Amino acid sequence: MSNQQPVLEIRDVSIAYETAVGPVQAVSHVNLTLDENSIVGLVGESGSGKSTLANAVMRLLRGAARLTSGQILVKGQDVYALSPQELRRFRWNVMSMVFQSAMTVLNPVMTVEQQMIDVFRSHRPEMSVREAHQRSLELLDMVRIDRRHARSYPHELSGGMKQRIVIAIALALEPSLVIMDEPTTALDVVVQRSILDQIKELQKERRFAILFISHDFSLVSELASRVAIMYAGRLVEVADSQGLTLADPLHHPYTLGLMRAIPHLSAEDVEIEGIPGNPPNLVELPTGCAYHPRCPSASAVCEREVPTLRQVGGRAIACHIFDPEKRGEFAHVS
Amino acid sequence: MSLNHLAQESSGAPLVQVEHLAMRFRLRGGQWIRPVDDVSFTIDRGEVLALVGESGSGKTTIGRLLLRILEPSAGRMVVDGRDITHIRGRQLAEYRRVAQMIFQDPFASLNPVKTAEDHLLFPVRKHRGGRPAEVSAVVDDLLTRVGLTPVAETRRKYPHELSGGQRQRLAIARTLAVEPRFLVADEPISMLDVSIRAGILKLLNELKRELGLSFLYITHDLASARYFGDRIMVLYAGKVMETAPARELVAHPRHPYTRLLLAATPGSSHQGALPETANIPPNLSESRQGCPFAPRCPLATEICHETMPAAEDVGSGHRVACHHLEA
Repeated sequence: MSNQQPVLEIRDVSIAYETAVGPVQAVSHVNLTLDENSIVGLVGESGSGKSTLANAVMRLLRGAARLTSGQILVKGQDVYALSPQELRRFRWNVMSMVFQSAMTVLNPVMTVEQQMIDVFRSHRPEMSVREAHQRSLELLDMVRIDRRHARSYPHELSGGMKQRIVIAIALALEPSLVIMDEPTTALDVVVQRSILDQIKELQKERRFAILFISHDFSLVSELASRVAIMYAGRLVEVADSQGLTLADPLHHPYTLGLMRAIPHLSAEDVEIEGIPGNPPNLVELPTGCAYHPRCPSASAVCEREVPTLRQVGGRAIACHIFDPEKRGEFAHVS
Repeated sequence: MSLNHLAQESSGAPLVQVEHLAMRFRLRGGQWIRPVDDVSFTIDRGEVLALVGESGSGKTTIGRLLLRILEPSAGRMVVDGRDITHIRGRQLAEYRRVAQMIFQDPFASLNPVKTAEDHLLFPVRKHRGGRPAEVSAVVDDLLTRVGLTPVAETRRKYPHELSGGQRQRLAIARTLAVEPRFLVADEPISMLDVSIRAGILKLLNELKRELGLSFLYITHDLASARYFGDRIMVLYAGKVMETAPARELVAHPRHPYTRLLLAATPGSSHQGALPETANIPPNLSESRQGCPFAPRCPLATEICHETMPAAEDVGSGHRVACHHLEA
């Protein structure tokens, strides 16, 4: 596995928004790799930069946002080196994206089938209408939606069906990488679960890689094999999902905070504890580690220096507590 | 406090009594739907009843009925000894001092051109009166109560200068300004960032414990219902499926729909396929028959499609409406 080329390599990527008060750093020096046939979760709160990063991979940054450093390689190809024509072919054939709101993605005045045919025709111009029609019906079969809905308009379908169709369209051209940005957040819990089960099943069958973006920690750790946690534009931890429990204390203080912040279904009397303060304002980021004003373990060094990701017991954590040279500054850490 | 109040408190009657509540709406095209259908429950003083269900379950409609934003089509609601089912005008205005609502979106429920202080001064003045200095002291108390300190700084802030969690705290302070006894909280944390949800839940818990407030906590999330609720009531298509003490319901769900909800919730111990036969939206039509969950239920038999089962007491305050209760 290790000598295979990764499906996605995010190398030292930084993204800034140009604003009236100067550039605002939304993503800072992020490194992340997805192997073939893997599901990686990207977790963060609002303003953490997770969706900005996802859009950057698709080269969908618009307006004021720009890539200020780094490279994004998909199947070894630098996404930002492609010509507009090449990019058009690359998207959907090699990488595709599922957005949160199916309603804003689907065209309300086109039938489901027309929209599917559209995707085939614009990204595979050589495909005949007849074949595109046939493939559209197969896509409906794939996500277990009755073929009679090929002629339905989006408003005639339930929220869950629409999101299934959006997923089917994302998989239409069998891409190697699918980015899913909160694909089930707007849905009821039972529908959400059956769509996630379907995603898992399709992934197993077709072996594409998924970068799954969500604010929901327990959902992501169930679905993904590895989870990356973002805070204020930086990755603070990348860990295997099995280890993401409170029983294992070897985590970034923010990760521990997130795990304590949500009530669990199964736990016996675990007291929940919110993280003090608020998610940071990107315009005035705290110095050093952006988490330090909210961190129960923060020390003087955390205000001065930005910690970098380092390997700690099989996971990567960006925290001075885990730096042997800085450890002396943390008197109270066991 | 009036003697009348004391008499009612010592009588031990529940603060909220709802009997056979129903709401019907007419759709375009003339068809009638019944999003709330024959719902009965009580909430004790200082108790939290969590109302859990998916969209279309009727949970938000029940909250609105209890605050009399909507008027019910049938049934009876008694809150704090008063029948509020069809009150109007002055009586309704008085009832707003007993019952208040916390909404999902604190940004939409606050006025963007008013400061935090403005949001509280008006209701405090109106409710309690008193000299400006006294009113101002109450405003400080309210802000402290909901954790919006330092008070002097918060008073001057506009909603856009507050974070999502702080806005929700301000909205909660405003409901407290009239010293209510009963709060309806409709998904109060679902729009907030994960790291600050716990803080709001804990605040609500304090209000319950320290002020003895009763809550109807409306949510789609069983985990938070288990945390904050004393009891959980599960709704499907406007009907009560199951009611039980919160821990009991999560540990020993008896209704097939509760089992489905639990299995679908992230972090549940359930693995594998969901226990249901079809994934279809609930039928709210007034002409439907039998148990509304029957079309999705793996246990459904003929009788389920014909008659709605009566709620049965299975012990320790656990009530289930299902024809197939053996398992």
